[in-house]
Amino acid sequence: MAKKLISVTVNGRVQEKAVEPRTLLIHFLREELNLTGAHIGCETSHCGACTVDIDGQSIKSCTHLAVQCEGSEVLTVEGLAQAGVLHAVQEGFYKEHGLQCGFCTPGMLMRAYRFLQENPKPSEDEIRMGMSGNLCRCTGYQNIIKAVQYAAKKLQEQAATA
Amino acid sequence: MEVKLDKQYPLDVDATRAWQLLADLKAVAGCMPGAEITEQLAEGSYKGAVKVKVGPAVAQFAGQVDVLEIVPAERKMVMLGKGADKGGSSATMNLTAVITPDAANPAHCVLNGTAAVIVNGKFAQFGGRMMVQVSDMILAQFVENFRQTALSLPAPAAAGGAAPAASADAPAPAAPPKVAGELNGLAIFWALVKGWFAGLFGKRA
Amino acid sequence: MNAPAQTAEARELALAGMGASRLRKEDARFIQGKGNYVDDIKMAGMLHMDIVRAPVAHARIKKINKEAALAMPGVHAVLTAEDLKPLKLHWMPTLAGDVQAVLADGKVHFQMQEVAIVIADDRYIAADAVEAVEVEYEELEAVVDPYAALQPGAPVIREDLAGKTEGAHGKREHHNHIFTWDAGDKAAADAAFANAPVTVTQHMHYPRVHPCPLETCGCVASFDPIRGELTTYITSQAPHVVRTVVSMLSGIPESKVRIVSPDIGGGFGNKVGVYPGYVCAIVASIVLGRPVKWVEDRIENISSTAFARDYHMDGELAATPDGKILGLRVNVVADHGAFDACADPTKFPAGLFHICSGSYDIPAAHCSVKGVYTNKTPGGVAYRCSFRVTEAVYLIERMVDVLAQKLNMDKAEIRAKNFIQKEQFPYTSAFGFEYDSGDYQTALTKVLDAVDYKALRAEQAAKRADPNSPTLMGIGLVTFTEVVGAGPSKICDILGVGMFDSCEIRVHPTGSAIARMGTITQGQGHQTTYAQIIATELGIASEVIQVEEGDTSTAPYGLGTYGSRSTPVAGAAIAMAARKIHAKARKIAAHMLEVNEADLDWEVDRFKVKGDDSKFKTMAEVAWQAYHQPPAGLEPGLEAVHYYDPPNFTYPFGIYLCVLDIDRATGETKVRRFYALDDCGTRINPMIIEGQIHGGLTEGFAVAMGQQMPYDAQGNLLGNTLMDYFLPTAVETPKWETDHTVTPSPHHPIGAKGVAESPHVGSIPTFTAAIVDAFAHKGVTHLDMPHSAFRVWKTLKQLDLAL
Repeated sequence: MAKKLISVTVNGRVQEKAVEPRTLLIHFLREELNLTGAHIGCETSHCGACTVDIDGQSIKSCTHLAVQCEGSEVLTVEGLAQAGVLHAVQEGFYKEHGLQCGFCTPGMLMRAYRFLQENPKPSEDEIRMGMSGNLCRCTGYQNIIKAVQYAAKKLQEQAATA
Repeated sequence: MEVKLDKQYPLDVDATRAWQLLADLKAVAGCMPGAEITEQLAEGSYKGAVKVKVGPAVAQFAGQVDVLEIVPAERKMVMLGKGADKGGSSATMNLTAVITPDAANPAHCVLNGTAAVIVNGKFAQFGGRMMVQVSDMILAQFVENFRQTALSLPAPAAAGGAAPAASADAPAPAAPPKVAGELNGLAIFWALVKGWFAGLFGKRA
Repeated sequence: MNAPAQTAEARELALAGMGASRLRKEDARFIQGKGNYVDDIKMAGMLHMDIVRAPVAHARIKKINKEAALAMPGVHAVLTAEDLKPLKLHWMPTLAGDVQAVLADGKVHFQMQEVAIVIADDRYIAADAVEAVEVEYEELEAVVDPYAALQPGAPVIREDLAGKTEGAHGKREHHNHIFTWDAGDKAAADAAFANAPVTVTQHMHYPRVHPCPLETCGCVASFDPIRGELTTYITSQAPHVVRTVVSMLSGIPESKVRIVSPDIGGGFGNKVGVYPGYVCAIVASIVLGRPVKWVEDRIENISSTAFARDYHMDGELAATPDGKILGLRVNVVADHGAFDACADPTKFPAGLFHICSGSYDIPAAHCSVKGVYTNKTPGGVAYRCSFRVTEAVYLIERMVDVLAQKLNMDKAEIRAKNFIQKEQFPYTSAFGFEYDSGDYQTALTKVLDAVDYKALRAEQAAKRADPNSPTLMGIGLVTFTEVVGAGPSKICDILGVGMFDSCEIRVHPTGSAIARMGTITQGQGHQTTYAQIIATELGIASEVIQVEEGDTSTAPYGLGTYGSRSTPVAGAAIAMAARKIHAKARKIAAHMLEVNEADLDWEVDRFKVKGDDSKFKTMAEVAWQAYHQPPAGLEPGLEAVHYYDPPNFTYPFGIYLCVLDIDRATGETKVRRFYALDDCGTRINPMIIEGQIHGGLTEGFAVAMGQQMPYDAQGNLLGNTLMDYFLPTAVETPKWETDHTVTPSPHHPIGAKGVAESPHVGSIPTFTAAIVDAFAHKGVTHLDMPHSAFRVWKTLKQLDLAL
């Protein structure tokens, strides 16, 4: 299969790479760019472990082709912390014990990151619904909800003082 | 996974021509989209193939059809078909087909089919939930082709019955219908989806 | 180097040791996407392996045509059983005394069984090559019902066992029979039943389910032909056992085999066994002299790796008219699939099922388990089951409810009446388990008060009296005892290796420490909790205690993490190793302070001279001394290793209560309240315990309310993707309430019993109890799982309760 040259900005850096048209974004990120934060948990796009952020949307990278990202801005979990400072969602998951084995965590973080921009003041039910595309087997979600609530509060405080 | 089918299809063809077609296994195979009889192994035993396409995935079932019973007096045919695809699916069908004349109208008859189909492998694993609906649709396509093919046969002699004059609205094409070279799974699925939506709005598909 | 003047309380806090809900040390890498899971590992020259799998459940293999696959560019090898034969690796021993085909040897025994492997440059080419391998099958009749499998004319599944009338666990009565195992006293039980005024019986099926951890199984096998050394990164809950097995199978000495379990994305018992995929990847690496990666996809994981349960149980209770249990009898038909690949201690083919007398003082009991082969995936022990404790607790808790309903007794009252009383511990059950400690009544009272049980029953009665009530209300109560911490080497071994565990601790000159254990965390937080144990024992802040597990080249030998055994066994080893260091440190401190050891007190992080607070030496100061100038007669350095052979299992317990409402129109269930009280003895990190309880309850919810692995009559597994297999999202998952009591284990060095299978063991019967309770007023005594809306709706229809 002949390769295609694509140019995609990932975590703020422009990446120019040759990829087969059939290459999934998840494999491009993990194998070509060595960004192994996003994980593969299924092949039917149910689990959300592969969730990343593309042009302002949560996208499951397992059902997205790398060539579809031509010209796009992709944010992965490796790009959340800025200058060594954790993002509010990362701090929330840490403080509220929102992870155990860590496998669903990058997907959860990327979804929570976008969700709180879609809905900065969510109710608990809205959080559960907003995060329902991401499966977890370890936590039972209860502390993940608290983590997102922690992050929502912190982001609002940051916005207020900005 | 086992699917049991018990269907009756009213046809605007007389029982004689319908039975003539039914008893000709090669021609009947020709009515199934994507199917063909490739070789006669013995009396009543044939090698056949069915090609099914779902999007980019193609399955080629290669197998054998054995006619177990032909009872012209009852216009009854019993056959056993077995096929397997190299990709990992297999199917076995035990079918009894009977043509019964329409008592009210000698120009019409009913094609009765009772079948037990066992599907194994990938198709069963992943297509299980759609098996019955897809079977219905495939059969409906088959019956339409069967009907048109039967109608294209020369009309039976007038002895013993009213000459089946072609009625004004009965289509009688000069040649058998053009049957699709392969069974298009996506087209069937799309038809299913359309039918389901139509059903929601109370229309019959 | 002097510690700043701080109160003992402040120093205790700074230590963040036992009992502290300290945040986790391992989180930093996970929240920044820097975990190191098997699929993250890349090695120079690495190739990818994929597996050709059988599409049907029972068939002969007539021909395998590799040509088309081999001709594809980028394909390096296509191997079948024929290629493994010269290495004698086409079959391998299982953990349960059976053998399993590594690649199907002329015959397929279950759908999705491994038939051939392809090795290629990348995973896409490997996947294409799998499609190009042509296999001709001659289908055979499959049998999926274990009762049908035992009929005289049933298809022969295991032709390789033809004529073998003795199995690993005794006589085989039939070509599809594996073993019959029993425990207890049959004569005593039969006598109890013969004279009993009241008897109840109930048949129940604990359906086949799958642990489905979010990370699937896989490995990267790398054989170095120059050094003759094999390194394999693997998703394994028992890396040392894997090393021993791999050495035995491959002939490579164990000293040249290195197995590494890196970060693991959930185990839940799915990652205990040695799968054909691992063996094939290792063989491929040895043959090709290059690293080979194999990572299965989700369909493969659900279809071919260790499933859980599939126990068909017949329970009977004998009792007095006022509800005192006199006897218990249980008969089980156990469906193991095509190979008995259960991960059980060798002497226990039915695991610890004989804990089925539960929390109750039952004088006479007997259980019998019959293992059967069917054309389904091999396995049986997995999914937070503590070696069949899930099945045992389900059985007894269901039976007690059946008895309660028969006698029209309250379900809490009948339990309290039959509890083993606090004073009876240590208590030896009719099955021979010596329960270490327990106080069930205190815990039960706590739960009933917390939920206002009386008010709930009153509400239920009112709803039952109202024919127009839109819902049916159910209250499920389970008072379970489980047995974990396998186990004493005289009764517990895996392939002959005793089930001890280990810890080695080394304190550095400047006072921090490193510790390694024979267990391996898959999310349980060992890097934090183990450090907390050491922190309290040695007075070193848990923050600077580095915990490592999973690398067999550095960690002392252990049996791994499953069956809630880490804290009971490795946790004990940690405490004992730390105490050895503590004892040496005491000697050094006494020498430094020029007093006798008897004149020293230990306070948080220091040895103090009795009566003089100003004279003390911290552990950090002692450590420096140990490397600088140890006292005469003592070796330099400050370290210890301990291998702990537990004297007994441990017996955590819990009281769970669930209130749910069933919508009479749709059959949908809303869990109104779930109160989970757990007693795991000493609690190391309450935050971590609570998190695991939430997780176990959620997995239990999934099993009880929706998970199934439906096989059709031909052995096709319908529903092996996440389209069908129910993994709850945050939307379906109820809110959990947790509580605890603390009844330490008297035989454990820190009194801890182990936790986190308990919420799974206990919650599943609780949900079922509540669903059945909702229908109890109509005479329903049991309903099999899963309690999906459709199945519950059918029951509503049958009983004329549907709206």
